Amino acid sequence: MAIAGVELRRFLKDRSNIFFVFVFPLLLVVLLGSQFGGEGPTGRAAVAGPPSELRSDVVHRLEEAGVEVTLSEADAVRQQIARGRTDVGLFLTAADGTSLAAGRDVTVDLVVGSQAGSRLTVQHVRTAMDGVADQAGQVAALTGAGIDAATAERALRTAAADASRPRVTVTDADGEAQQFAGLGRFDLSAATQLLLFVFLISVAGSATLIQARRYGVMARVLAAPVSTRQAISGEALGRFSIAMVQGVYIMAGTALLFGVEWDSWPLSLLVLAAFGAVAAAAAMVVGSVMDNDAAANGVGVGAGLVLGALGGCMTPLELFPDTLRTVAHLTPHAWAYEAFAEIQRHEAGLLDVAPQLGVLAAMATALLVLGGWLLERSLDRAL
Amino acid sequence: MTAATTRAAAGPPAVAGDVLVVEGLVHRYGDLVAVDDVSFRIAPGETFGLLGPNGAGKTTTISMVAGLVPAHEGAVTVTGRSMARDPVAAKAHLGLVPQELAIYPELTARENLTFFGRLQRMRGKELDRRVAEVLELIGLEERAKDLTKEYSGGMKRRLNIGVGLLHRPALLILDEPTVGVDPQSRNAILESVEALAAEGVAVLYTTHYMEEAERLCDRIAVVDAGRLQAEGTRDELVRLTGGVDHVRLSGAGDIGAAAAALRSLPTVVEVAADRSALTLTVRDAARAVAHLVTAATAAGMSLDGVEVSRPDLESVFLHLTGKALRD
Ligand SMILES: Nc1ncnc2c1ncn2[C@@H]1O[C@H](COP(=O)(O)OP(=O)(O)O)[C@@H](O)[C@H]1O
Ligand SMILES: [Mg+2]
Repeated sequence: MAIAGVELRRFLKDRSNIFFVFVFPLLLVVLLGSQFGGEGPTGRAAVAGPPSELRSDVVHRLEEAGVEVTLSEADAVRQQIARGRTDVGLFLTAADGTSLAAGRDVTVDLVVGSQAGSRLTVQHVRTAMDGVADQAGQVAALTGAGIDAATAERALRTAAADASRPRVTVTDADGEAQQFAGLGRFDLSAATQLLLFVFLISVAGSATLIQARRYGVMARVLAAPVSTRQAISGEALGRFSIAMVQGVYIMAGTALLFGVEWDSWPLSLLVLAAFGAVAAAAAMVVGSVMDNDAAANGVGVGAGLVLGALGGCMTPLELFPDTLRTVAHLTPHAWAYEAFAEIQRHEAGLLDVAPQLGVLAAMATALLVLGGWLLERSLDRAL
Repeated sequence: MTAATTRAAAGPPAVAGDVLVVEGLVHRYGDLVAVDDVSFRIAPGETFGLLGPNGAGKTTTISMVAGLVPAHEGAVTVTGRSMARDPVAAKAHLGLVPQELAIYPELTARENLTFFGRLQRMRGKELDRRVAEVLELIGLEERAKDLTKEYSGGMKRRLNIGVGLLHRPALLILDEPTVGVDPQSRNAILESVEALAAEGVAVLYTTHYMEEAERLCDRIAVVDAGRLQAEGTRDELVRLTGGVDHVRLSGAGDIGAAAAALRSLPTVVEVAADRSALTLTVRDAARAVAHLVTAATAAGMSLDGVEVSRPDLESVFLHLTGKALRD
């Protein structure tokens, strides 16, 4: 429809848009990708304590998980944390090793730094420690069954080696580290920036709707032989195509430039379409309620950033405390984030993401009805 | 073949008679009655003016005629199609030039025209040809590829009008198209309206400039406070003031005697005197003036100036509303 076409055209012609729409998102993908990316060092841990079997075991397991490990004196470790050179510090004592070998419970000290990635690294450390404890437990069980400790340990190691590749990934474990399994370095940041920008740019774009009303263009459109309903759906479609252009661009751009795997393109596009519809409808609401285009632009950027942050576009949703995570699900971002997570990490099918798509579709419909109604009312002010 | 003729051939036969019939229109904004029982008709090729000060209700009236706001009472019929019952058909025959510059600043003139042409259901070659025609008509061919935000005020106004003309509407509605325009562009706009009327387009023109109404309009409605105060040709309206002119005789000598002599003449309605001049209210001043001069001189007044002023729409407005048209 002509109205949709002209809105898209205006959007693409606005030079100030080009940086924000086409350059900035990719920059952010790189920036955030290096912070939360799945490959390369997943985090940094400093381990203090005398050399022991426990220590080498933990270090080995951490390195397996991709964590960069440094060994230092306890004081040096504390300094590293304070200076942000490492995400977590793990303090082992000579006693820990022997206790564990003896099958007793062990409590080790862990100090967590304040960087964004720290919480993720903590999960890696926990997982590593659990692994160590499991093995100690198994050894203890086997020894209890009459096998001497050295043999038991050797047998277990062999078993572990044999059973290796395919390694068993426990997906239902609550360790966050496992939740990020299956992600390439930029996959996560590409998905989150996709959501952030599609929404932000759409809502900020509601300014053009306000301009159209103020310029009298809306009046002229309505004086043409088109029904109000046609005019409103044309507007909605215009907003939607803006969201899609932005979204498809980020998907294609990140896939080509950074090798981001969207895994299932049709499914990812479907999620994008559902999310884009929500963004477009939100833009209609803002564009109808507000009368000042500059203010609408500001509100669009502000709301886009806040909702984006809340919906997991800045810090992965998995790292949210539980209550915040519940609140986050008021945002469309969170639902779309989940859907992308399912698709990218777990090769989910249509059925798996149906709940998220359903919620997004419901949000879009509700906002669209509201936006259409508000727009129709706002047209009175256009004259 | 043009869009208009194609449509006319396909649709119901063109209605003989009035292009626009407006009957008893009322529109309220809350308690304010912005338009109060307004009725008028426009024939093909006729230019009809709504003359009134800011806030008189001109734009609101036009918005109802164009189907942008609902009429709370009354009816609008464009070329026989009811705006209330069949808005899409009624709108197909009207072109609106809003008071604001209703064009997209980030698009070129050609893109603007093409977009609005599409809304008028024009397509392909026919649309391209018509866009080129209109660009020529409004003198913007050379700048057709420039963004309209780089245009001068007058160029934007011309494009604004061009968009309203694209689909060759039977009725062109212009809402104060010359506000904030330099004299040269204003003249160009008035000329193009005259040219359109000559082609047979019915024009509904609002303004608060009486000179424009006088120059362009075949018939004029004087509006104030939402009501049509009077309607007719310029001369008919002027006659409402009593059909009298003013003659000012200035000079020296026996002004008192001259006043008495003139007062006795049958064409003179009223005489006001001051120390150096007489102001006469006279019927048909053009013919009487020579006689007035003779009579005044004979009574002992030596004249050094004669000024005849015919009533204009300004005096009509003053007569009807007790207010000046300009603020
Ligand atoms: N959207 C609106 N809401 C409330 N009052 C309005 C609105 N539009 C116009 N008015 C009022 O209606 C009256 C007529 O306005 P308008 O039709 O714009 O007059 P004009 O075009 O002759 O200047 C004015 O008093 C104006 O303040
Ligand atoms: Mg007005």
